[in-house]
Amino acid sequence: MTVSAGRRPLEGVRVFEISIAVAAPCCGKAMAHHGAEVFKVEAHSYPDVARAFGSAWARDPELADIFCDTGPYVPEMSAGKRSVGLELKQPQALEAAKRLLATCDVFLTNFAAPGIAELGLDYESVKQVRPDIIYAGMTGFGVDPDKPYYPFRAFGPNQAPLVGWDALTGFPHEEPAGIPSIAPPDYMGGLHTMLAIVTALHERDRTGEGRFIDISQLETTVSFLGPYLVGQDLGVPEPFRNGNRVSWAAPAGIYPCAGDDRWIAVEVPDDEAWEALAGLAEWADVPAHDASGQSALSTYPHGTLADRIAHHDAIDTELAAWTSRRSPQQAAAELQALGIAAYEVLNHTGVLADPQVHDRRPYSIAPSPRLGRDLFVRNPVRMSATPPYVTRAGPNMGGDTVDVLTEIGYADDDVEQMVANGTAFVDARPDVVLERPFDRWYESVGIAEFYDAEGNITGGAQ
Amino acid sequence: MSPAPHSHGPWSGVRVLDLTGLSGAYGTRVWAALGADVICVEPPAGNPIRSMPPLAPGHEGPEASLWWAYYAASKRSVVLDPTDAEDAAALVKLIGSADVVLDDAMPAAQEAYPWLADAGEGGLGVAGIVERFPHLTWVSITPFGMTGPRRHWRSSNLVAWASCGLASTVGFPHGPPLAPAGEIGVLMHGASLHAVIGSMMSVRARNLAAAADEPALGQTIDLSLQEVGLWLSPETGVPLYLDDQVPRPRAGNRRPVTSPMGMYPASDGYVAIIAIQPAHWNAVAQWVHELTGNEGILDEIFIDIVVRREALEAVDAWVEELTTRFTKQELFVEGQRRRIPITPVNTVGDLRHDPHLEAVGWWRPEEHPVLGTYTVPGSPFTTDGDWWAWQRAPMLGEHTEDVLGELT
Repeated sequence: MTVSAGRRPLEGVRVFEISIAVAAPCCGKAMAHHGAEVFKVEAHSYPDVARAFGSAWARDPELADIFCDTGPYVPEMSAGKRSVGLELKQPQALEAAKRLLATCDVFLTNFAAPGIAELGLDYESVKQVRPDIIYAGMTGFGVDPDKPYYPFRAFGPNQAPLVGWDALTGFPHEEPAGIPSIAPPDYMGGLHTMLAIVTALHERDRTGEGRFIDISQLETTVSFLGPYLVGQDLGVPEPFRNGNRVSWAAPAGIYPCAGDDRWIAVEVPDDEAWEALAGLAEWADVPAHDASGQSALSTYPHGTLADRIAHHDAIDTELAAWTSRRSPQQAAAELQALGIAAYEVLNHTGVLADPQVHDRRPYSIAPSPRLGRDLFVRNPVRMSATPPYVTRAGPNMGGDTVDVLTEIGYADDDVEQMVANGTAFVDARPDVVLERPFDRWYESVGIAEFYDAEGNITGGAQ
Repeated sequence: MSPAPHSHGPWSGVRVLDLTGLSGAYGTRVWAALGADVICVEPPAGNPIRSMPPLAPGHEGPEASLWWAYYAASKRSVVLDPTDAEDAAALVKLIGSADVVLDDAMPAAQEAYPWLADAGEGGLGVAGIVERFPHLTWVSITPFGMTGPRRHWRSSNLVAWASCGLASTVGFPHGPPLAPAGEIGVLMHGASLHAVIGSMMSVRARNLAAAADEPALGQTIDLSLQEVGLWLSPETGVPLYLDDQVPRPRAGNRRPVTSPMGMYPASDGYVAIIAIQPAHWNAVAQWVHELTGNEGILDEIFIDIVVRREALEAVDAWVEELTTRFTKQELFVEGQRRRIPITPVNTVGDLRHDPHLEAVGWWRPEEHPVLGTYTVPGSPFTTDGDWWAWQRAPMLGEHTEDVLGELT
């Protein structure tokens, strides 16, 4: 295999992915962006939630058979992949999956360990088909049935509480706020898995041998608490949720701005930035909130970090009075001019209007078999010589079944027979191409690069 | 004796210079333990991470920070003062010996390093470095990227969560937005993983090009913290919003879509429960019934998630009658036995004694010449190979002589 300059580093690498929701799919998506050929093997009898969610605007019963292709999570998690429809609980489908596996370098799954074993795709079975396979199994609690949590159910929203992230989210005087509506542990699991797979590919280049990778998401995500776990043993008091404050910089927080539900995040990184902030003339107008009766900001112009942490409440009150008289953009510009980290707390519409987003276009628009074209986030690793990209959104559920089965040696008759008997399936009504309700905005919102099927950037706003 | 970089591990033979702070430290920690020779190039005062609390009680100075003790594991430390001409020359030489450099300085600094000028390379920015060392990968991890109108703006973990739209959805409706998991810096960890994955990709592309007798393939990588945040948050991202036009306001620690859904009080803290599927609800209802004699909760009408949303307060109160009777670990074990998706809202103290982490032998002892002996977390994942080699964090400048001595 050769890769010339400009060719992506995973071109030629083939990935067999059997996955659900976020953790494994976001890993496969990143691999596709770096050039890997990723086969998402999926089934109607146990569909990925990204398929089940569909889209709110596509609930017309006439669209029921293609609803699974309409969800925005489909391109967000699987852009650039090929979808192979195989009902793996049927022997003929499993046989086809193994023929595909024999051509693959990587096996990627986040199905629970008992479930993947039931399908006959545990490591030993896969290794028999492809001895040098790199097998990455993502589970909640590992693959050892003798361990205490082995049978337990783990999925996205339940992971953050388990690994200590929820208890650390919120204010000390309130219940933990947690992060029930988002799933950062899943993305972090996906990134660790990607790192492990690329490491195994690097190793295999030298040794020719495959590898079994056991990603137990508990260990993976608990690893982020390292300094505090080390500290427990040395007698450091246990950390407690502390709003948006940090132990090494003050003030830090999110402060209200003029307008309804408008906020700014502020972190003063060092003494110099603090002195610049405290030196602003405006503090004379801010009512004092410290016990001394003086403005904390004017009282501690040369305050050390310890001083600022000790008077954080008073500083917060005064800073909030200052930010409340400004729009978030105005406050951020003024604070950044002083060397202070500050940004508007953007919501969705804020991201859409953000000048940096408009300039750098962190989203892609690429051809989609079901939606003409579709929108998804780009890989943030902007490499100058081998930039990551994909040339297709989608995929349709089962849209690549016929091509892939043919490529691995099935005759047309065999494929037809498998589709007819339900062991394999193809995408429903491939000729039906819908349009997202906001498709016509793509040109005007200006947040995305447009890619054609060859990977060329064809321009942004037109 | 200073520990040498371990000579096995899948990335042995690859040299990485780490000039970053928090936005690179976690990823390079993992890479170092996988065999890469990760050298932290520090100014004489030390990497800023060395002063980040918590500090080991009774200690001060460059070895006291537990952030450093954890994140610098398996790396080496070289002290160079780039304002000194001799050191600047050594730094340029060291860069020439590396495969990858990770740098988190602001774009203006990276575009024109004075120490490169001191080394006789006036005006040489990042682009010029890669030209001079054609095999090199240079990763710039910056708040908003190396281009664009806000490239000179500063950021932090908190500010980056604000800039990507995610913070606006975390917190209670009556309160301000929040950074997820506060100061542990989840976004910074994510940035560091992206930076290291990108670096590995670049090394791979370079090796493949070399194997094909093609010209040396070095490159720059431009990684923006804001864009890392966007990649990490499709749940709150623009494509979902454009599709459903539904705002995602802060909803606190319960999601008012049904009950039980979210955080509930236990006798010693909280548990998180998700009961959407009928089987999960039935198991919760049966458990409440067994414990409290509540007959009403078994009424079939409550199997409908919409009915439970309409009767949210009553159902939540019933569920709390159950949860407040047990510890979170009791609820976790018994609830999971009953096939209910329930987890404890663990604190750091709970995790230190977690039965799974103890059963898999995750913890290991570490000895440090200044801090003494303590227990540290194990590897973030495992394989059937001999991949990991963990060593204590280096002391300030511990490897300066060794590393500079190797340079010719």
